[in-house]
Amino acid sequence: MLRRTILKAGAAMALVTSLASVASAELSGPVNYIIPFGPGGESDISARMQQPFFKEKFGQDLVVSYQPGGGGAVGWASLNGLSGDGQTIMGVNLPHIVIKPAQKDVGFKTEDLNIFHMFHFTPDAIVVTADSPYQTLEDLVADAKANPGQVTISGSGKASANHLAQIKFDKMTGAMTTYVPFKGTGAAVTALLGKQVKAEWGYTTVGAAQGDAVRLLAVAMEERHPLFPDVPTFKELGYDMVGGAYRGIALPNTASEETTKMWSDMISAVNTDEAFRQKMLDAGFALLDVDADGMDAFMAEREAEYLKDAREAGLIK
Amino acid sequence: MNFDHFLTAATPFNLCLALFGVAAGTIVGSIPGLTATMALAVLVPITFSMDPASALILLGAIYTGALYGGAYAAILLNTPGTPSAIATTFDGYPMAKKGDGDLAVALACFASVCGGLIGAFALLLLAPPLSKVALAFGPVEYFWLSVFGLSLIASLSTGNLMKGLAGGAFGMILSTVGVAEISADIRLTFGSQTLISGFGVVGTLIGLYCIPVLIDLVAVPDRHLKVEKDVKSVRIGEAFGLAMRSKFNLVRSSIIGTLVGILPGAGGSVAGLVAYSEVKRGAKPHQKFGEGEPDGIMAVESANNATVGGGFIPTLVLGIPGTPPDAIVLGALLVQGVRTGPTMFQQSGSIVYTFIYGLIIATIMMLPAGLLIGRYAYKSIVTIPKAVLVPAVGFMTIIGTFAIRNSISDVVIMLCLGVFGWVVARFGFAASPIVLGLILGPIAEQGFVQGWTIGAATNNLTGMFFGRPISQGIIAFTLITLVLPVFMGKRRAKATQGVPE
Amino acid sequence: MSVSTSQGHIGSLLTSAFFMLAGAATLYDAASYTDRDSQVFPQTVAVILIVTAGLSFIIRLLRPTDRGGFGPGVWWRRILLVVSMLAACFVMPVIGFLPAGVIAFAGGLIAAMHDKWTTRTVLLYWSSGAVVMVCFFSLFKYVLNVPLP
Repeated sequence: MLRRTILKAGAAMALVTSLASVASAELSGPVNYIIPFGPGGESDISARMQQPFFKEKFGQDLVVSYQPGGGGAVGWASLNGLSGDGQTIMGVNLPHIVIKPAQKDVGFKTEDLNIFHMFHFTPDAIVVTADSPYQTLEDLVADAKANPGQVTISGSGKASANHLAQIKFDKMTGAMTTYVPFKGTGAAVTALLGKQVKAEWGYTTVGAAQGDAVRLLAVAMEERHPLFPDVPTFKELGYDMVGGAYRGIALPNTASEETTKMWSDMISAVNTDEAFRQKMLDAGFALLDVDADGMDAFMAEREAEYLKDAREAGLIK
Repeated sequence: MNFDHFLTAATPFNLCLALFGVAAGTIVGSIPGLTATMALAVLVPITFSMDPASALILLGAIYTGALYGGAYAAILLNTPGTPSAIATTFDGYPMAKKGDGDLAVALACFASVCGGLIGAFALLLLAPPLSKVALAFGPVEYFWLSVFGLSLIASLSTGNLMKGLAGGAFGMILSTVGVAEISADIRLTFGSQTLISGFGVVGTLIGLYCIPVLIDLVAVPDRHLKVEKDVKSVRIGEAFGLAMRSKFNLVRSSIIGTLVGILPGAGGSVAGLVAYSEVKRGAKPHQKFGEGEPDGIMAVESANNATVGGGFIPTLVLGIPGTPPDAIVLGALLVQGVRTGPTMFQQSGSIVYTFIYGLIIATIMMLPAGLLIGRYAYKSIVTIPKAVLVPAVGFMTIIGTFAIRNSISDVVIMLCLGVFGWVVARFGFAASPIVLGLILGPIAEQGFVQGWTIGAATNNLTGMFFGRPISQGIIAFTLITLVLPVFMGKRRAKATQGVPE
Repeated sequence: MSVSTSQGHIGSLLTSAFFMLAGAATLYDAASYTDRDSQVFPQTVAVILIVTAGLSFIIRLLRPTDRGGFGPGVWWRRILLVVSMLAACFVMPVIGFLPAGVIAFAGGLIAAMHDKWTTRTVLLYWSSGAVVMVCFFSLFKYVLNVPLP
C-alpha cells in the first residue's frame, strides 16, 4: 500500500518536472474554472469530465463555478479583467463568441479572447421521439415541404448553433420549418419529449443522454459518431452540413505566453488520455484537438463560416 | 427498492455526512447570497474521490438543508435567504415582529421536514409515473402557471391593487433587462455595459428586501424584533401542536411543492408562491394572512422543501434537471458514469436508491439539527445589539451579492435597488409584487413566445392558449383566486353590517 | 400643512409618475428591437405598467390623503449606512475586500449606534465586527473559492 503510494507520488513528480521543463509557468493552487452558463449544460458536463483527469495529472483541483448571463456574454465580457496568472480560466463556446459580438455590442470582441484550446464539439443532430412518424430525415423534409411552417422544431436559444443549423438546413432543402427557441438544451428536449414540438435541433449528446426515448435522424459530422453507428451523417444523405457547437477554454489576455503554453499543454494532455476520450464519446461528445498553436487558423475558418451563415440568415447585418 | 439500500444509506459514515450536510446546508441557506448551487459546485470534486452514493447523500443533504435555512433570514430579517423563501417573508417577518420569531422558526422546521419527506417518498415510490407531469407541461402551461402566480399580487395588495399591479409589471420589465434569453436582442440597457448582465434574482432579492430593513433599523432606536422577557428555547411544543392542527395544509402544500418541483423551469420559489396562494384562498375568517399567520409559513416551507424530491424526479427519470442544484447533481452522476433515464432505476438502481434513502435520512436529521440551529439563529438575531447586527448583515449582503457573479457592479446595483425599493415602499409600492414580477416574468415571456410561435405555425392560437386541459385547469384556479376574495369580502361585509356595534 | 401638499401625497404622485415614465422608456426602447419575439412581452407589460401606475396616480390626485411618507427617523443615519456601503464598493478594487468591508462596517456601526459609546461597547462591538468579517471573508475566499479582490 505504502509502496504504491510512493510509486504514484514518484510518477506524479516525474510528470510535473517533465512538464515544468517544457513550460516555465506553474500552477500555485486550485484553478478557478468559470463556466459562463448555468449548471447542467454541455459546457458544464464537459468541464466536470475534465476535473478528475486534471487533478490526477497535475495535482490541482479545477474548481468549477457558474456565471450565467446574456447567453455567456456576461462572463466573456469580464474575462480580460480577471487575473492572468493562470489560476483563472473560462469556458468559451462557438458560435456564441462569434455571433454575439457581431450582432450587438456585448462588451467583448471575438479577437480579444485568448483561447488556448478547443477540446470538443457537439455535432448538430435532428432528434425526434422514439414513436415519431419521422423514420428518416426524408420523412421530415417531405412533411415540411408539404405543410410549410407546420413542422415545429425546438432548439436552444436564438442565433445559437441550433438556430443557425435550422436556418441553414431549411435553405438547403427548400423546406420551411418553424424554430421554437427554448432556454437551454434541457428545456428544448423536454418540449420534444412532451410532444410540444415535432422535432428538436439538438446535438449528439441528446441522443446519448436520452437513449431509447429518442431517435437521431442525422448527425452533422464528417463520419458517423461511434456511439450511433446506425445514424447517417447529413453528408451521406446529400446535405453538406458539418458542424455544431464547439467548446474550448480561454485565459485572460494578460496571461503570459508561458502560461498560455502551459495551459495548452495541460489540456492537450487531458484530451489525449484514452479514458477521458472514451468517457466523452460515451456521453455523445466528439473530440477536437486544437491547441494554442493551431487556434488562429481554426478560429479564422470558423469565424468566416459562422458570419457568412448568420449574414445569409439575416441574423446580423 | 428494498431494505438493503436503506442499510447501505444508513452506515454511520453516511449518517454523519447527512447530518453534516444538513447543518452546513442550513447555514448556507440562511445567508442571503450564498446559494445551494454555489456550495454544491464547490463540493462536486469531492464526489470523485468518494463512494458515489455517499457523495450524493452529502450533496442532497446540503440542498435540502439550504432550502430550510432560507427561512431564517426570511423570518428574522425579512430577507429570503434563498429565492424559495420569498413567500416565507409574507407571514414570517410579521410573526417575528410580534415576538413570535422562535415559534416561526420551529414551525418552518416542522413544515420543511414534512415537505421534504413527502417529496422524497414521491421520488422513491412514484418517480416514473410522476415524471410525465414534467412532459405534460408545455410552454402555454408555464405561461398560465406564471399568470396564476402573478394573481397572488391581487390578494397581497389589498386596498392598493393598482400599485400592486404596477409593481408586478415593473418587476417583469426589470426581468427583461440585459441580453434576452430566447431571442436575439439586448434590452433596456440604454448602452450601459453594466446592465447587460441584467438584474440577477438573488441580488435583487437582497436589495429589495434586506436593504430597506437595514435603512429602517438604523433610523430609530427601537429594538429590531419584539422579544418576550426570557428567551428560553424555540417553542417546539407549541409549534408541533400548530403543525398537527394544520395537517391538511401541510400535506396539500407538500403535494403542490412536489408537483411544481417536477416542472423543470419552475422551482422552489414558484412552489412556495403557489402553495401560499392556495392556503390563502381557503383562509378561515379568523386567519389574517400577511400579518403573521402560522399557516402561511407552513404552506411555503413545506412546499419548497418538497421540491427537492420533486425536482429529482425529472432529473433522474428523464435526465432533465429541474433546478440548478439538480443540474449539478446530474453532472456529478454523469461523470460517475451513471446513465440517467427511464432505465436508470434498473441499471444503476443501487446508487439511486441509496441516494433516495440518504435524502430521506437527511430530511429526518433536519428536525433536530434545524431546531437546534434555528434556536441559535433566533437567539443571536434577537440578542445581538442592533449596532452590531446592522453592519454585520450589511457586510453579509455585500459579500453575498459579490459572490454570485464575482462582480462589484452587482453589489452597486443591489444597493441602488435597495434604496429605490425602500423609497417606493414608503409610498405604497411594496417589494413583493416587484419580486413576483421579476421571478415570474421570464417564465411568462418564454411560455408566451413559444406558445405563440407553435400556435401560429399550426394555425391554432386559440386552441393553443385556451384549448388544452391543463391550461384550462390553471385558468380556472386563477379566476377562482381572483374572484373568490371579492365575493367573500362582500359577504363578510354584509354579515358584519348586521351585527350591532 | 394641508393634505394635498403633504409628503405622503406628493411622494405617492411622484412614484406613480416615475413608474409611468419607466413604462414609457420601455416602449421607447422596445421600438428598436430587431426580433419581434423580444418585443411583444416588454411592450405588453409596459402598457400594463403605464395604465396601472396612471390609475393609481389619478385615484390619488382625486382623493388626496397624507398616507405614506418616510416616517420618523434620523436621516443622517440612513444616509451614512447607504453611503458607507456604496463607498466600500467603489474603493474595493483599489484597497481590497477586507479594508473596504471595514468602511462599510464602520458606517453601519456608527449609523446604528443609538446608545452612548462606552469603553466596553467600543471594544466589544469593534472586535466582534472584526471577527464576523474575517470569518465571512475566509469562508468565501478559502472554502468557496470566491476570488475576492
